[in-house]
Amino acid sequence: MEYAIRNQAFADKMAMSYAEFFDGITPMVQRVSLRVSGQGEAAVLELKNVETHAEIRWRLADIRQVPDQAREDAFIFTPDNDAPARLVIREAEALRELVTALPDLKTLGAPKGSWRKMIGMVAAAVVAFGAILFGLIPVMADRGAELIPPETEMALGQGLFEQVYPAMGAYECTDPAGQAALDRIQARLTRGLDLPYPIQARVVSEPSLNAAALPGGHVTFHRGLIEAAQSPEEVAAVLAHEIGHVAHRDGTRAVLRTMGSFGIIGLVYGDFLGGSAMAAVSQQLITSSYSREAEERADAYAHELLAREGISPGALGVFFQRIRDQGLDMDLGVFQHLSTHPETLTRIEASAAAAAVGFTPGDPVLSAEDWAALQRICGGGAPLSGGTKG
Amino acid sequence: MSALKTEFGGGRGDLFQLAMKTGFLTALTFGLYRFWQTTRFRRWYWSAVRPGGTPMEYTGTGAEKFIGFLFAIILLALYLAFFNVVAMFITIRLSANTPGILEYGAAATPLALIPIIFMARYRARRYIMSRSRWRGIRFGMSAGAWGYAWRACLYSALTLLTLGLLWPLRTFQLEKYLTDRSWFGTARFTQFGSFWQLYGPLIPFLICFWGTLALYGYGLRYVLPAMLESISRGIPMVASNAPAWPFLAGNLGILLTFLFAVYYRVASFRVMAAMKTLGDGLEFDIHPRTRTLVRIHIIGGILTNLATSVAATIVIVAAIAIGMGIGISLPSGPSASVPEPSVILALTLLFVISLVVIIVFYNVFRQIFITFPMVRHVAETLEIHEPSLLSTIRQRDRDDTRDAGGFAEALNVGGAF
Repeated sequence: MEYAIRNQAFADKMAMSYAEFFDGITPMVQRVSLRVSGQGEAAVLELKNVETHAEIRWRLADIRQVPDQAREDAFIFTPDNDAPARLVIREAEALRELVTALPDLKTLGAPKGSWRKMIGMVAAAVVAFGAILFGLIPVMADRGAELIPPETEMALGQGLFEQVYPAMGAYECTDPAGQAALDRIQARLTRGLDLPYPIQARVVSEPSLNAAALPGGHVTFHRGLIEAAQSPEEVAAVLAHEIGHVAHRDGTRAVLRTMGSFGIIGLVYGDFLGGSAMAAVSQQLITSSYSREAEERADAYAHELLAREGISPGALGVFFQRIRDQGLDMDLGVFQHLSTHPETLTRIEASAAAAAVGFTPGDPVLSAEDWAALQRICGGGAPLSGGTKG
Repeated sequence: MSALKTEFGGGRGDLFQLAMKTGFLTALTFGLYRFWQTTRFRRWYWSAVRPGGTPMEYTGTGAEKFIGFLFAIILLALYLAFFNVVAMFITIRLSANTPGILEYGAAATPLALIPIIFMARYRARRYIMSRSRWRGIRFGMSAGAWGYAWRACLYSALTLLTLGLLWPLRTFQLEKYLTDRSWFGTARFTQFGSFWQLYGPLIPFLICFWGTLALYGYGLRYVLPAMLESISRGIPMVASNAPAWPFLAGNLGILLTFLFAVYYRVASFRVMAAMKTLGDGLEFDIHPRTRTLVRIHIIGGILTNLATSVAATIVIVAAIAIGMGIGISLPSGPSASVPEPSVILALTLLFVISLVVIIVFYNVFRQIFITFPMVRHVAETLEIHEPSLLSTIRQRDRDDTRDAGGFAEALNVGGAF
């Protein structure tokens, strides 16, 4: 590297320059004259106190400039990366010359090795967050779910039911004939099952194609799902899937996992712009990874239960296929990971495979009029045409 | 020697460039650059503040801030996970008969963070002090974040319980705690005075606050029975002929209460600043005006919103042009097929990018129109008396704070920059 002073004229000019010097020991200002001497690596900047004539030398190669100054009328230099001494140059001429003499003038920066330390800390943070979110919390939540008495779970589910749906602007559909039809499907599927609590299946007036198993056996169908289904077998298949969740107490697990991971994701984003949105998306990703396994387990449970009752396990796949055909599953790129259900195609294939194993067909799930009553459970004459989504 | 006055050197144009550059870098790096951005802002503002003509200096680095943040979030995640799990099991135990308690359990987490937030504030301030210099001499702060946290919790609770009557006690004790632990080189800051001196600026607030409460109480006396009945019977509330004026006056009262709260905060800051000394009797003054700060907030807020609207319009027009330019147009009509996934993805991306760009502009304009004039106003009111006493001060050792303000960053209690 070349730190040589370009010419003697410059060095002479520098000799006439003055600056303010702070020695880093006291806050008192010293007036110094500046002079550059020496060549190449040995070039130094001499600072001479105009009163005491004490002299200090800074190696040119080590000099750093303090960056991001608000106004370009005072430039601040330091002998190296660590020393607290400061030189304030205000004379524009001297400054320009010094900067031209030091083409490689570096700005004061982070000490060496901080990159390695940074990468190490990133790795540590990733490991710690992974261990907490995917190790500690799921294990503790599963343990907690086993400790909760069933009565509490039932009350918790009822509480959630009363909070969640009114908040969405939905109400419970209570047409007696429709409810009776739904109860008939439920009775057929649950006979002889050893469940922690009875299933309570209901329909709410929410137009989306969805169903949920809240804690404590509260299974909720959205109106959109009931009306889009083309046969009672499809509704039965979805109910069988939700019964699978109930049998595994997945609703309670999900509540406890959410409780356990509360606030942890938000830490990462801090006050970064759109941080809360990013945190919400990440929370969704984590919830989805928690539930992927639960969904697969519930599907498998449903296949077995349907086959036992003489209903084709393929009905679940038929229903998923219908959602897919209507372009309602979010099976695209990034969205795929946001959906809490495993890739629909995989689930359709699993369902078809379960049907291929064979089962003895039983009685139809509902009579034609019961089926019509179920489809009208939320009132309003003709069912909505397939694919309508709220 | 005469008193040292403080000048503020630095223009909005330079700050605008810095804010734009770092704002977009932050957006492009998904927020990763924000540690370096904060650092660069601090360096800029510090160098603009020039007591006695010599710029202050901020020596923190983005790298140490990032490392400190990672360190902090690991500890906080462990703390929260531990707390959540304990809260979970306790609520499960207690929940045998009262299912609602599970929800209270979830609500307990923010409560558990309150002392941590105070601790984070103290540590963030300590970090900033340790990275600030003037005339080559370091500022610094002694350890004491937990002592601050429990005091802050205690005095906050007292303030809440007495409906603001003990607010001056909280203000004074916490400020004294912070001041008495602050250093410039070998000289220590000391807070003199007593909390009684803060009651003067508090009186307008107390009158308005208590008056507002009384108005609402008076108004509710008529409305409350009808309200309770409507809740218990689950029927919509019938319009009563209760007087409306207490509520109207109460709304005005809220506005005044808020304004007088701001006045109290600025005035108490001024009063306490006049009663601080450094080392052996070096005195200084810092006296921002409430009305200037309020004016900056109002005018700055209007300018920020105006400028952001203009920028947002340009961004949206550009986004639509780009969208049409690359042939994205949603199929129309009932017979149209479902749009291709790639089209939806591209549109979503375009939308997200536009939103981020608008947010970046908003932050830049806030910086230019609010933060900048605020800092300038406060800085220009700083005066140091008897500067000859500075000669007794010597350098202090470098203080390594490992979290580098990371707790405050993680908990989002950082402030403007």
